[in-house]
Amino acid sequence: MSLWVDKYRPTSLAKLDYHKDQANQLRNLVQCGDFPHLLVYGPSGAGKKTRIMCVLRELYGAGVEKLRIEHQSVTAPSKKKIEINTIASNYHLEVNPGDAGNSDRVVIQELIKTVAQSQQIQSSTQREFKVVLLTEVDRLTKDAQHALRRTMEKYMATCRLVLCCNSTSKVIAPIRSRCLAVRVPLPSVEEVCSVLTGVCRKEGLLLPPELAKQIAEKSGRNLRRALLMCEACRVQQYPFSADQDIPETDWEVYLRETANAIVSQQSPQRLMEVRTRLYELLTHCIPPEIIIKGLVTELLGNCDGHLKAEVAQMAAYYEHRLQLGSKAIYHLEAFVAKFMAIYKKFMEDGLDNFMF
Amino acid sequence: QDIRRFFAPTKPAAPKPTQGSTSTDQDHARNKKKPSSKITSPKSDKRSVKRKKRLIVDSEEKKEGKQKKDPKEKNASSGKKNPVTYVSDSDSDEVFTSLKKSSKPGKNGCSQMTSHLGKSEEAQTASLKSPVTSSAPSLKRGTKNGVSLTPTKAAAPQPRYTPTSVVDYFGSSVIQRSDKKLVAATSTKRKAVSNEIQDHESSCSDELIAKQLQMDEDIELEKQIHEDEEFAKTLAMLDEAPLPKKARVDTISPLKDSSRTSSADTKAKAKSDSPKQSPVRASSKLALLKRRADKEEERKKNKQEKKGKMVVSPKKEPATPTTSEMAVTPKTDRAFAAASKSRSFSTPKSGSSKTSPTKPETSPEDSEKKRVNSAAYRSYLNREGPRALGSKEIPQGEENCLEGCVFVLTGVLESMEREDAKSLIERYGGKVTGNVSRKTTYLVLGRDSGASKTEKAHSFGTKILNEDELLDLIRTKPGKKSKYEIAAEAENKRTKSQTLGSKGKATPPRLKHTPLGPSPAKKSLSAGKTRAVSTSSPGTSRASPRRGTASDVKKSLKFGCGKTLPPAPHHATDGDTCSLLWVDKYRPRSLKNLIGQQGEQSCANKLLRWLQHWHKHHRGDTKTAPRFGKFGGKNDGSGFKAALLSGPPGVGKTTTAALVCEELGYSYVEMNASSTRSRTSLKEVIAESLNNTSIKNFYSGTSQTVSDKHVLIMDEVDGMAGNEDRGGIQELIGLIKQSKIPIICMCNDRNHQKIRSLANYCFDLRFQRPRVEQIKGAMMSIAFKEGLKVPPPALNEIILATNQDIRQVLHNLSMWTATDKVMTYDQAKADAKNARKDMKMGPFDVCRKVFTSGEETAHMSLIDKSDLFFHDYSLAPLFVQENYIHVRPAAAGGNLKNYLVLLSKTADSICDGDLVDKQIRSKQTWSLLPTQAIYASVLPGELMRGYMGQFPTFPSWLGKNSATNKHSRIVQELASHMGLKTLCSKDAVNLDYLPYLRSALLVPLQSHGAEGTSQTVKLMDDYDIIKEDFDSIIEISSWGGQPDPYSRLDSKVKAAFTRAYNRESHLTPYSIQMVKKGRRSTTDFESLDPENDLQGQEEEEEEEGLTADAMIRRKKTKLTKEPKQEKAGDSGKGKGKGKGKGKK
Repeated sequence: MSLWVDKYRPTSLAKLDYHKDQANQLRNLVQCGDFPHLLVYGPSGAGKKTRIMCVLRELYGAGVEKLRIEHQSVTAPSKKKIEINTIASNYHLEVNPGDAGNSDRVVIQELIKTVAQSQQIQSSTQREFKVVLLTEVDRLTKDAQHALRRTMEKYMATCRLVLCCNSTSKVIAPIRSRCLAVRVPLPSVEEVCSVLTGVCRKEGLLLPPELAKQIAEKSGRNLRRALLMCEACRVQQYPFSADQDIPETDWEVYLRETANAIVSQQSPQRLMEVRTRLYELLTHCIPPEIIIKGLVTELLGNCDGHLKAEVAQMAAYYEHRLQLGSKAIYHLEAFVAKFMAIYKKFMEDGLDNFMF
Repeated sequence: QDIRRFFAPTKPAAPKPTQGSTSTDQDHARNKKKPSSKITSPKSDKRSVKRKKRLIVDSEEKKEGKQKKDPKEKNASSGKKNPVTYVSDSDSDEVFTSLKKSSKPGKNGCSQMTSHLGKSEEAQTASLKSPVTSSAPSLKRGTKNGVSLTPTKAAAPQPRYTPTSVVDYFGSSVIQRSDKKLVAATSTKRKAVSNEIQDHESSCSDELIAKQLQMDEDIELEKQIHEDEEFAKTLAMLDEAPLPKKARVDTISPLKDSSRTSSADTKAKAKSDSPKQSPVRASSKLALLKRRADKEEERKKNKQEKKGKMVVSPKKEPATPTTSEMAVTPKTDRAFAAASKSRSFSTPKSGSSKTSPTKPETSPEDSEKKRVNSAAYRSYLNREGPRALGSKEIPQGEENCLEGCVFVLTGVLESMEREDAKSLIERYGGKVTGNVSRKTTYLVLGRDSGASKTEKAHSFGTKILNEDELLDLIRTKPGKKSKYEIAAEAENKRTKSQTLGSKGKATPPRLKHTPLGPSPAKKSLSAGKTRAVSTSSPGTSRASPRRGTASDVKKSLKFGCGKTLPPAPHHATDGDTCSLLWVDKYRPRSLKNLIGQQGEQSCANKLLRWLQHWHKHHRGDTKTAPRFGKFGGKNDGSGFKAALLSGPPGVGKTTTAALVCEELGYSYVEMNASSTRSRTSLKEVIAESLNNTSIKNFYSGTSQTVSDKHVLIMDEVDGMAGNEDRGGIQELIGLIKQSKIPIICMCNDRNHQKIRSLANYCFDLRFQRPRVEQIKGAMMSIAFKEGLKVPPPALNEIILATNQDIRQVLHNLSMWTATDKVMTYDQAKADAKNARKDMKMGPFDVCRKVFTSGEETAHMSLIDKSDLFFHDYSLAPLFVQENYIHVRPAAAGGNLKNYLVLLSKTADSICDGDLVDKQIRSKQTWSLLPTQAIYASVLPGELMRGYMGQFPTFPSWLGKNSATNKHSRIVQELASHMGLKTLCSKDAVNLDYLPYLRSALLVPLQSHGAEGTSQTVKLMDDYDIIKEDFDSIIEISSWGGQPDPYSRLDSKVKAAFTRAYNRESHLTPYSIQMVKKGRRSTTDFESLDPENDLQGQEEEEEEEGLTADAMIRRKKTKLTKEPKQEKAGDSGKGKGKGKGKGKK
């Protein structure tokens, strides 16, 4: 008994529900027996990993689904031992070098290179190359990405890399140029709805289209989240009703409350409260980008036209600096403080105008 | 952000160069006027005040000359009584003040305070409206009053005034003032000229009065002093002393008169000039400015004409005439009296009015606020700094005139900062404390003063002064000789007489029994000497008590060791003394001279007793010496064979040890950090010299008394480190265990890791820093011996600057006085500031100092401010970030909008600091640290500077960050465990899966209770989640302190769940323990190349079987030996955590 999202995960390119053109192209690509390095990118919940696994299955057959978790340890030149978990089948290896933190370069240099260098013994029965799947490439440090450059070229014969990330903006250009970029966009609302309805049908449930649409919108077209929401709805209430409220994740609720707190009052005391709330979010490992994004979406609803542009610009500014800096809370707080100052000024000026 | 902005407050001098240029030479001539006072508010009557200052300097010199003579005469006549009389000075002072109180009711604290307050208040306001014209009508009256009334006052003292309510008084005054305003408004411009003339006339007449009063007072005062009982015996002798003094005063006064008239002339001249020079008198202010300019010129002239002969002291008058007026003028007249006072203030206040134009509005409000306590607190929070900085001349009082007086400052003094006021009082020997107590002599009241302090002062009957009265007090109070100086003199005399009495005998030799031999020539000489001595008295030394005289010590010491150094040459040859450092020159020669070690329970005495009884306690073998001293009834260290002296440097540990040894006639071998003290060398050197046959021979032999008189002094044991002294401490401990002689160890930090083991074997003696007074006394006597003139308050500064390090004080003294034998307070303070040891500030203090406004931060330069950051550059930004929200910035002025803007700016600056920090840490560009200091500490401080409502809180970032890291590790582990199923990244697991997975896991338990357990366990198995993961899911998905839903479950359900989970073994695709990894990898290797999928599957199953076996086995063992297993698991986990931390 798994969750629906995993239970009904498509396993072959033919079974994919949306972006079928792309699926066809990928199949064509694979069927000719060889394919270049891939850089699959797209927002979270769009189905990147699912698609990659489908490609691998197309390539190697069902054996690719026999996965195992391996615990590898790599020794850095400084004699430091780095432990890293990998997921591997007989044909491929999935690594998230970002797990190693700052020593991800060593993982790339040692682990990937070792795998890439090793030749397949029986090239007759199977493909002569293995696939190394690197996830969250955008979290890699620049050093690690540079370490990847040469490996990608040199061991092309024995190893293909599939890079998976959310955004290519943090992948250095040399790597982007070495890969075939495949963007997996989010499914449209209709596609999400059809997937949801399909899953519910398989489960023997009847999903009202209104609810499906609502879920799709609420999930932000993130199919993974939509399915999880749908299942939560099922647990909450069955048979479904069209206007039942969809259970949200705690952090979303918390983030919204925080934004409301900012709007409702602008004072140093409130800033202090917001700080504790932000800390709470951060300690729950909610990425700061998502926090700032969530705040802005909520805050913008309370702003007028002129202020909207300003706030959006501000948010972009602070988000950028947040990436440059090391302590996220500083920048989040600075954003909140700035917003409070601007908003307070705006409100008071508005009040003055109203008075006269 | 313009950084230059922040330089501005620190250097207000820049914009006014003309003032500075005209007065610089004079400033140099007279020492130190506050630069701030000089610049921020130019004073029109500066000239006269300065003149007066000079006068005082002159007269002081004369007086000093006389005083110097006087004591000499006294000494000649009666040598011994002199110190007594002077020591009792402080007592007599109190008597004197009380006498004064009764004789001069006008000066009585309370009444004066109330009236004065009102007056000054009014005077200020009046003067503000029209500095010159307003006072015009009242001036004549005021001066008349002054003239007519002073004689009567002098003749017959008036009864005391009961304190009247301030508020009442204010009420009337406000009305009065508004009237006056009208008058002032109606008064025409042309009055201005006549006013000025009148002003000067009146000032002249006032001067006369003041002078007379002053003289009267002086005489009275002197009489009172000498009528004291203490002086009864010496009266006859002392009678001579005041006479010349009086005569001097008399002789001076005509001189003064003449000079005054001359000055009046010049003034008149200037006056007549001034109209011409300033044809347009558009406003009184302009006239004022003009006049100031004139005076400036005049002053120059005066300076050239009669340097130092200027006598007029218009500054002196405000207090005396007005007080006399106050004493007599009826209540209705008071307003006028106040107005007349405004004359005296009008000129300085004109300067202040420029700096703070808001004053007239706020001051009446303030008085109202005082009524309500909360309002008072509010006003305290928002209270501004001094409004008229430097508007009043700081008087030059007589030396030590405030000695014995204890001051408490409250409220904001208008013309000077709290710090300055404090240093002013301290300069004249006064003491400033924080709270009013019975001992407090004066309470100095400023604006917005604390009500509780005032009340307390009333209840204790403490005199209450305002700012002007304080200045007057300094101006008028007679100086006296510092008791320290006197003590020093007395001591010096005593020692002299002693040395005369027993020449040669009184100088105990400084023995250094070092392995390094002395110079051969001297050695032979001394050897001869010692032999002679030893032969002369072999028996007596044995019989003599241990606490013998120095010569006795010397003898026995010489006995103990065949070769000794010659006696320290200090006193023997005067030529040598010059070359010696003062520290050595004035090294205490006996235990009695040790600073701060005089008490019965002092370390020196404890050490003495311990050493005295050492042989008694340790006569037998070690079996009789258990170490129970620590917990035993008597804490005399009798159980210990060694003593450990610990304490900060420069308090006299080594000296104490050496002196104690000398006192008891022990010879000592000193090992300090300059000699290698490794295990082997210790063994060789010490064991040989102390513990081997030579001593044993003595022990068994006849000369038993000498044999055991050895001490090993291990100095600087905390320096026994590094490769050189490896194993030194262990060897030392071993040595202590089997030693037959006492060992004295010394170290600075008793809690040091290396010392701790040693401390267990030692009698623990902790040296504290001596109190300032203790050091001061000794230093004064040394200064006297060296012929230095250091004012005691100056010495205070020096001692405090060195953090009560006697050695440092001596060095500093000797350095600073190398060129000049006289040291002034200001010079000393400046020097002391330079020599101030860099005190390490804690991050809390740093944070407070970054944000708080006020005296201590007002004068900080940019460098000082950024230095704050460098106290701890890793913590300081965190503290600043944590606490900036708690600060109420002064710049916001209570406006919430501005406050928020400031907060935002500060936050931006802190962000910039973070960016710089990232650059520093990631690229190791540590040269950027100063930049970070500006962004992360200085700029926030500047923006937010204000009042900090609470104690700085510790940065929560540290805790939150580690919590984040921990959760991140947990999520990563979860993600990797669930990886096979979810195929998604850590963030996705955290954001999307966990909330729903938790509910999916818990819903069966919640809805079905125990029946739901199987469903939950199934789900867990599907996602490869083990029980630990389940717990961490619960932990990580609890928000904002809400109780997690799992804990709300029925305990039965929980137990059922746990049982259901434990019932079956769970197969995980990952290894729980590291050990299994190896096996797994080998099986992987085997199954690396399967023929077909089926085979692979089989192998997989086989493998899983294997792991399942392993798991089962583990389960079984777990059942039997649970605690041990858990421990292993824990340790494994801890390791994992540690690694995770390293990675992050």
